[in-house]
Amino acid sequence: MELLKIQNVKKVYTTKLGLVQCVALKNVSFTVSEGEFVAIMGASGSGKTTLLNILASLDKPTSGDVLLGGRSFASVPDRELSRFRRDNMGFVFQDFNLLDTFTLKDNILLPLVLSQTPVKEMESRLLPIAQMLGIDMLLGKYPYEVSGGEKQRAAVARAVITDPQIILADEPTGALDSKASVHLLQNFRALNERAGKTILMVTHSAMAASYASRVLFIKDGEIFAQLYRGEDENRAFFDRIVANLSVLSDGGADIG
Amino acid sequence: MGVRTLAKGFYVKLAWANIRRSREVYLPYLIACAIIGGIYFLVCGFAMSGELTGVPGGESARALFQMGVIVFTVFAAGFLLSINRFLVKRRKREFGLYGVLGLSKAHVGRILLLENAIVLLGGLACGLVFALVFGKLLFLLLLKLMHALPQNEFRPAPVAYLATAALFLGVYFVSSLYNLAQVHLANPIQLLQSEKRGEKDSKLVIPMALIGAAMLGAAYYFAWTVESSGTAMGIFFLLVLLVILATNLLFTSGSIAVLRALRANKRFYYRPQNFVSVSGMFHRMRQNASGLATICILSTMFLVTLCGTLSLYLGQEKTLAPQYPYDVQVSGYAPYHDRLGADAKLAALAEEHNVVMHADESGLNYHNYVEGEANPDGTVYPGSELYMQPHSLYLDGTLHFDLEGAEEDREAFLDAARQLSMVLKNEAGEDVTYYYRVRDIWSARQESYGMYGGLLFLGAFFAILFLAVTVLMIYFKQITEGYEDKERFDILQQVGMDEKQVRGTINAQVLWVFFLPLATALLHMVFASRILTRMLQSFMLYDWVLVLCCALGVSAAFALIYLIAYRMTARAYFKIVKR
Repeated sequence: MELLKIQNVKKVYTTKLGLVQCVALKNVSFTVSEGEFVAIMGASGSGKTTLLNILASLDKPTSGDVLLGGRSFASVPDRELSRFRRDNMGFVFQDFNLLDTFTLKDNILLPLVLSQTPVKEMESRLLPIAQMLGIDMLLGKYPYEVSGGEKQRAAVARAVITDPQIILADEPTGALDSKASVHLLQNFRALNERAGKTILMVTHSAMAASYASRVLFIKDGEIFAQLYRGEDENRAFFDRIVANLSVLSDGGADIG
Repeated sequence: MGVRTLAKGFYVKLAWANIRRSREVYLPYLIACAIIGGIYFLVCGFAMSGELTGVPGGESARALFQMGVIVFTVFAAGFLLSINRFLVKRRKREFGLYGVLGLSKAHVGRILLLENAIVLLGGLACGLVFALVFGKLLFLLLLKLMHALPQNEFRPAPVAYLATAALFLGVYFVSSLYNLAQVHLANPIQLLQSEKRGEKDSKLVIPMALIGAAMLGAAYYFAWTVESSGTAMGIFFLLVLLVILATNLLFTSGSIAVLRALRANKRFYYRPQNFVSVSGMFHRMRQNASGLATICILSTMFLVTLCGTLSLYLGQEKTLAPQYPYDVQVSGYAPYHDRLGADAKLAALAEEHNVVMHADESGLNYHNYVEGEANPDGTVYPGSELYMQPHSLYLDGTLHFDLEGAEEDREAFLDAARQLSMVLKNEAGEDVTYYYRVRDIWSARQESYGMYGGLLFLGAFFAILFLAVTVLMIYFKQITEGYEDKERFDILQQVGMDEKQVRGTINAQVLWVFFLPLATALLHMVFASRILTRMLQSFMLYDWVLVLCCALGVSAAFALIYLIAYRMTARAYFKIVKR
């Protein structure tokens, strides 16, 4: 079933005086089905962050529309946007974005508290997720007391605890070492396969992308190509992604 | 050679660039330096220049200022040093970065020395200009408070310049030593990490909070119940110390204990507004509680100083009244020995000088005092020797009378009366001349205005000093917290809090943090007004209502200034947060 639908999205940035126009996204259309794990790849400046911001309803397209579960973003009034975002999407950022003023537990519970969930329900939801992500022993600690990988897993827990329709991840492994990256990606896969979560991940790492079930390549503001995993193992899929990347970047494989 | 001069220019450039880049911090620091320097210079000027000597009551004022200089030196140096400490602590990360970029510690130290010199010199220069421009005006104001006419212009003595320069030089020396030590003692990695983390939770929080509460309770109790003025004077500074310690403990531990309890109450804690504010406060108190306590204590000092000096100034007539139930008192061996003769002599002198002396018992309705207590029926206390004379009233060896007539005539009469004498034989049979001791309410009043006018003026200077440092600390707090909160603000929005909610919670939190010190200072003031009243009784002021009115007035004015400071600094804060 179609969950997320992007229709002819175009984004043009204009400088203040309107003299210089910069086309970040030319014409992007694709769909994400429920239960999919999609990676979007592209070099820096290719427009992938712009795309993610639009998908996150943090930014508005110049033309075109985004539909989540059949509901058009354009139809959501501004004052309801943050609530809409909170109820339907979970976010994972490159630099974690955890609040130093909260313990990990409270950081994870934050979106539930904002939607005024009863305390009992919050706690019953917290434990299985924390256990699955392997941070149940760290819940009382503050972000500055744990490692980067642990922080990112707490951020993932925060993203999934509201049981959102889709998880949006922006370079989630960008600030992690390779071991922590693998651990996190395995968590993502488990969330996708075992818990049936839909995940959309922006990355420039072929290793990270090789955990997805489908990879979209974006270049100069357009979807350039896409790859399905099919029956491939990680390694084989990784090789295909890298091969595709070298085509994409005209041989100069600056994306790793 | 060429390389060396280039390098030198480079350091100056870098130091100057640093100051300009963080002008939002350095400009207020410079202003504070200027205020402290200017005021210090003026206090020294009043204390060490001759202008006050010729003025009636000027000697007492001058003596006061000389004492003030010493206390002022301590406070001014202390404040300047602690502001410097605060600023340097904030910059540890930057020092670390310099280290990583390849500047040696000696280089960084050199830049710091230059920066420090630029800011202190700039502050000193601004302060001196300000003092020279407004010094004359302030001198006239001082004379007005003293009810004296200006006799000559205010021209500060060279020694005042020297003293001010010495203060700043001393501050420069000590603060530079501290700064260099900061740079040298730490390694770059430590320096790079020194920001960010809050202090560890101590297990001693609850006992410390209890001790603080007990200390504050004890201080309040003694301040409220102290009976005699002597005891009040004796224990005042002890109580001040106790309150300072207690305030510190309560802010650092008490607040944490309360917030912890709030956090433990899940029903309360896990509500959107409370959730964000309580945890924000918790974080903030762990980092900045002692700063808040300092703001609170400075505010209290401001209130107490100004209230005390203002009460004394405004209560002068009330302190004069019990001492001078009638305008003039003539005492000494002569009137004691021959009260009727003295009365007649004075009356003849009065007629000669065209003034009229008279006295009736109505003057005795002034409350005379017994060991600091007003006599309940408002008349003479038991055991006094009281006789009505033809022109005066004899009370315990002193002749009292009112005097009517033109001012010059009165003065001429008083001068003449001081020349009156009586020759008596002593035990050895030798002639001894006994003069009349004449005291009058007019010169006492003049003396009193000199004393209390000077005191009020000095008090106001101290108050300005406290206020400047308080506002500066508030401002620094807003700036540092602004940068921290900006990050939180962004994250909360990304996690799904809308902008209005975010602003609401942050507003609430800023208000709390801001007004907690003010509320505590005002509470301190309520109890301080009690012991202050007792202490002022040593100055013959027995008027709690007056002290209370002064306390109220000063508190209201202070609250207003505080509010304005809040509005102004909050603007700087929101500018950062929204950037």
